[in-house]
Amino acid sequence: MTQGIIENLITALTKLPGIGRKSAQRLAFFILTMTPDDAKGIAFAIIDIKDKARFCSVCFNITDTDPCNICSDTSRDKERICVVEEPSNIIAIERTGFKGTYHVLLGALSPLDGITPDKLKIIELAKRIQSDSVQEVILATNPNTRGEMTAQYITEIIKPFNIKITRIAYGLPIGSDIEFADEVTLAKALEGRREM
Amino acid sequence: MLKRTEGIVLNNSLFGEADLIVTYLTRDYGLLKVFAKSPRKIKSRFGSSLEPLTYSKISFMGKEDANLPRLTQSDIIKTFHALRDDLKRLLNVSEMLELSLKFMPEREPHFAVFKLLLGTLTKLESDCDNALYLLYYKIKFLEIAGYAPRLDMCGRCGTISYNGSYSGHNNFYVSHGSIICEKCIRDREGSIRLSDGTVRLYNSLIKWRLSNINRVKAPAYMLSEIGHVINSHIAYILGRSRQLRKENFAVGISP
Ligand SMILES: [Zn+2]
Ligand SMILES: [Zn+2]
Repeated sequence: MTQGIIENLITALTKLPGIGRKSAQRLAFFILTMTPDDAKGIAFAIIDIKDKARFCSVCFNITDTDPCNICSDTSRDKERICVVEEPSNIIAIERTGFKGTYHVLLGALSPLDGITPDKLKIIELAKRIQSDSVQEVILATNPNTRGEMTAQYITEIIKPFNIKITRIAYGLPIGSDIEFADEVTLAKALEGRREM
Repeated sequence: MLKRTEGIVLNNSLFGEADLIVTYLTRDYGLLKVFAKSPRKIKSRFGSSLEPLTYSKISFMGKEDANLPRLTQSDIIKTFHALRDDLKRLLNVSEMLELSLKFMPEREPHFAVFKLLLGTLTKLESDCDNALYLLYYKIKFLEIAGYAPRLDMCGRCGTISYNGSYSGHNNFYVSHGSIICEKCIRDREGSIRLSDGTVRLYNSLIKWRLSNINRVKAPAYMLSEIGHVINSHIAYILGRSRQLRKENFAVGISP
């Protein structure tokens, strides 16, 4: 019996990314030692997110209220929209203290995989720019081929609106060593150099 | 067992949190999929080497029958980033990559296709917007794969054209993958009418070497007629649902 419920939890945990059988076992036995409140807290948080999570109708962030916290916060700078590929990117950018708003594309262009512009929230972005008083669009798609392609495509689409369009800088990761950077990363970092 | 070869990245797809599955066209193993651990982390040792079009020396580990060998090293030989940095160019080059992805079986060495891709990318890099290279690549790829359209003889009776064309009666039938002569035509529906010049250009292109392509100056209408034949032909072979997808991109240029 005990074997059964522990085994169930282990199997369930291995469905998480990066969790192999060994880690799942460790987590399962750790959960066993937690206080009922802590353990149930995790369980309810999971249930909650599955019941209430949906996309914000303005920015396509994941939220339980519509519009989301960021879109409905009057202290945020609505004139600046930071465009990202995934909702998880917002969490990363929020840590920098950015005070503008966001727009989640829910992916990046990839013709080889059938991800065409109509599959992303690009028209929705154009509509936002058209109706709100947006001054700047910051393209923060990933620094890879798909992200760059997406940034270029969006630029073509929103250029007619005559607003400032910026792309986050390419550079070397802080704490790294030039010696170990590959030529593309280094060339992009040189291209994006600034005067001191 | 550690293996080494050279390969060009055709595509990569996300796997789990920070991993990638990279599809290469390799010199020695044909189409090859490998698993790369953590390339999406900022301090990954793979750097930008797994981005599409990158040509590198690679090492991978895997048993003969393992379906997903693990990439252990990739050292860039050429990045071809000029072709990747511009949206329109990338869309065009994507069509080239897509042909390999859709027509080639995995792990069957095909040196001619590898050489054709590497050669065409090298030429294109210094002459980025020459639409003839894209057409040439598609025609030669289909020829190697055994699917090239025949514009030099009737697909029904086998009559060879006179002087390289059918003098004003060049009707290409997608369903036959060839021209059908005046005598054999029953129904004109579904045919593509081609000019004499286009048919002659096609019949020459298929014989020429890559190194001669830059000397050809063809009028835009011929390029667009050949492009139409080739793309319709590919779409027909692959079946409607799997046709090349560039048509969906409003800003894509097409020869
Ligand atoms: Zn929102
Ligand atoms: Zn005939």
